[in-house]
Amino acid sequence: MSRLRTKELTLGYDDRDVVSNLDVTIPDGKVTAIVGANACGKSTLLRGLARLLTPRGGAVYLDGTVLADLRTQDVAKVLGLLPQSPVAPDGITVADLVSRGRYPHQGWFRRWNDDDHDAVSKALAATGTADLIDRPIKSLSGGQRQRVWVAMALAQDTDLLLLDEPTTYLDINHQVELLRLLRQLNAESGKTIVVVLHDLNLACRFVDHLIAMSDGKIVSEGPPTEVVTADLVEAVFGLSCLVVPDPVAGTPMIVPA
Amino acid sequence: MTTTLSKVEAPAVDVAAALRRNRRRRGTRATVVLTALAVLVFALFVVTMMIGSFRIGPFDVIASVLHLSDNAGVDFVVRELRLPTAMAGLGVGLALGASGTIFQQVLRNPLASPDFVGVTSGAGLAAVVAIVMLGTGGLVVSGLALGGAVLAASLMYVLAWKDGVTGYRFILIGIGIAAFFDGLIGFVLSRAKLFEARQAMHWLTGSVGQASDTELRLLFGGLLVLLPVAVLLQRPLRALDLGDDTARTLGTRAELSRAALLGTALVLVALAVSVAGPIVFVALVAGPIANRLLGPATGGIVAAALVGAATLLAADLVAVHLLPTALPTGVVTGAVGAPYLLWLLATTNRQGAGG
Repeated sequence: MSRLRTKELTLGYDDRDVVSNLDVTIPDGKVTAIVGANACGKSTLLRGLARLLTPRGGAVYLDGTVLADLRTQDVAKVLGLLPQSPVAPDGITVADLVSRGRYPHQGWFRRWNDDDHDAVSKALAATGTADLIDRPIKSLSGGQRQRVWVAMALAQDTDLLLLDEPTTYLDINHQVELLRLLRQLNAESGKTIVVVLHDLNLACRFVDHLIAMSDGKIVSEGPPTEVVTADLVEAVFGLSCLVVPDPVAGTPMIVPA
Repeated sequence: MTTTLSKVEAPAVDVAAALRRNRRRRGTRATVVLTALAVLVFALFVVTMMIGSFRIGPFDVIASVLHLSDNAGVDFVVRELRLPTAMAGLGVGLALGASGTIFQQVLRNPLASPDFVGVTSGAGLAAVVAIVMLGTGGLVVSGLALGGAVLAASLMYVLAWKDGVTGYRFILIGIGIAAFFDGLIGFVLSRAKLFEARQAMHWLTGSVGQASDTELRLLFGGLLVLLPVAVLLQRPLRALDLGDDTARTLGTRAELSRAALLGTALVLVALAVSVAGPIVFVALVAGPIANRLLGPATGGIVAAALVGAATLLAADLVAVHLLPTALPTGVVTGAVGAPYLLWLLATTNRQGAGG
């Protein structure tokens, strides 16, 4: 029984359905990547899972309950999301930003307590951003900034964490660093992580479970070693390629033909 | 695995200590700033009642206001002549400061002051129509101005609504509405007789020196309800600061919170304008000054309200006592505010952070 799944889920914007009739099951305690070509509906699916989009048909289920029926603040204690391009007010410092991740655990009158303090300290330590707490976000490099945003999502202290293309604006070194961080978080706390990724090679290398999408449908899903074949890449990305074992990890590696 | 864990947990102690220091520092700063602002506002409030053609000492003023003394002459000057002005300055300043910073934060734009987005123009049009066409004065003008402000605000909200209200759309529609109402004000003024036109112009410049008891009671009644509401709404505002997606994943009902915040700010500014006329720039500068004092991105509504009150009381002192002839308060705030606006436009564009 998986905590987060969808049944016949249809999502869309304005007059267009982007994904339709999708049955997705997110494996608990694993790192899952949603991959696919541009505009295949992977970010839309993630937004649907995070309740940012209201389903047009079907439903998302969290712990067996229809997600849309739960209280917003209760969902926020279990399910966190890092949006693709998060915004921050001018001049906000790292400590202030990460602390705001505690929002769902606070109330109108209950403000800051030791739990909040511990969660924020741990989030800063885990992401290696502890020595940046007095710095304004604006003054940080892209890689540091992304780690600070992850720290904010961690401070929210949710069992499930969704990330929408967190590596997009990072160079290769920081992409790998961020994925290693997600792996480490999953290993240490058993957090279920779902991440939308562009780079199929990185996805194969770092995740347990792959959901490959094309044109609003799921083409294939499962562990990368079982799922990723030359035919799949051809079907999803329209690229003819060879799939060879990664010389370091043995995971599938895509080499354009 | 154990090595990774210990690596993470060893510095966590230092992190916790550093974080605690950081929070304590911010807490102390907030306490100091708020206390200092409150003292400053109180001082300006008392000074407003001390000076004039008949000077009164600070303790006599306080004693008279609190009904602790019995000096008919002093009591008349303080309670009847100067207290209404001081109260109007205080209340209007608090309302403008709080509403200005809420607008700027919700609409994510330092230029998004109620001065520019049609509320004050709506109030102005209603007031000018009352003065010029209906030949009325006093409370009727204020009541109609309040109605005009609320009408303009509702019109703006309805027109800006498209699956929720977003910053740019709201501001552009607000500017459009302001231009439309300003045009109508010009039209009405052009048909006015000289005496009425002068009266209307005086109202349009904005002054705290003409508030009646009823107006003040309405203003402070509104403040007593709306300022605590605004303070409570500071919490969702801090989440909305991070954009709608993040705010919603943090558990905010984004659209509802935004509507509550804008509604509170609109009523506050409508009350202020109906009492004192459109006093420009106080709402624009209060929020940024409060942020300078408290630290970046703090967005304190109470601090902004106090800065608004201090600014307005100081501007009124300058307008009435320091200039060769007594002028409406709005002249001084305008003269000080215009250069600030230019500076803001220049620096906002340079940073490319206009949105």
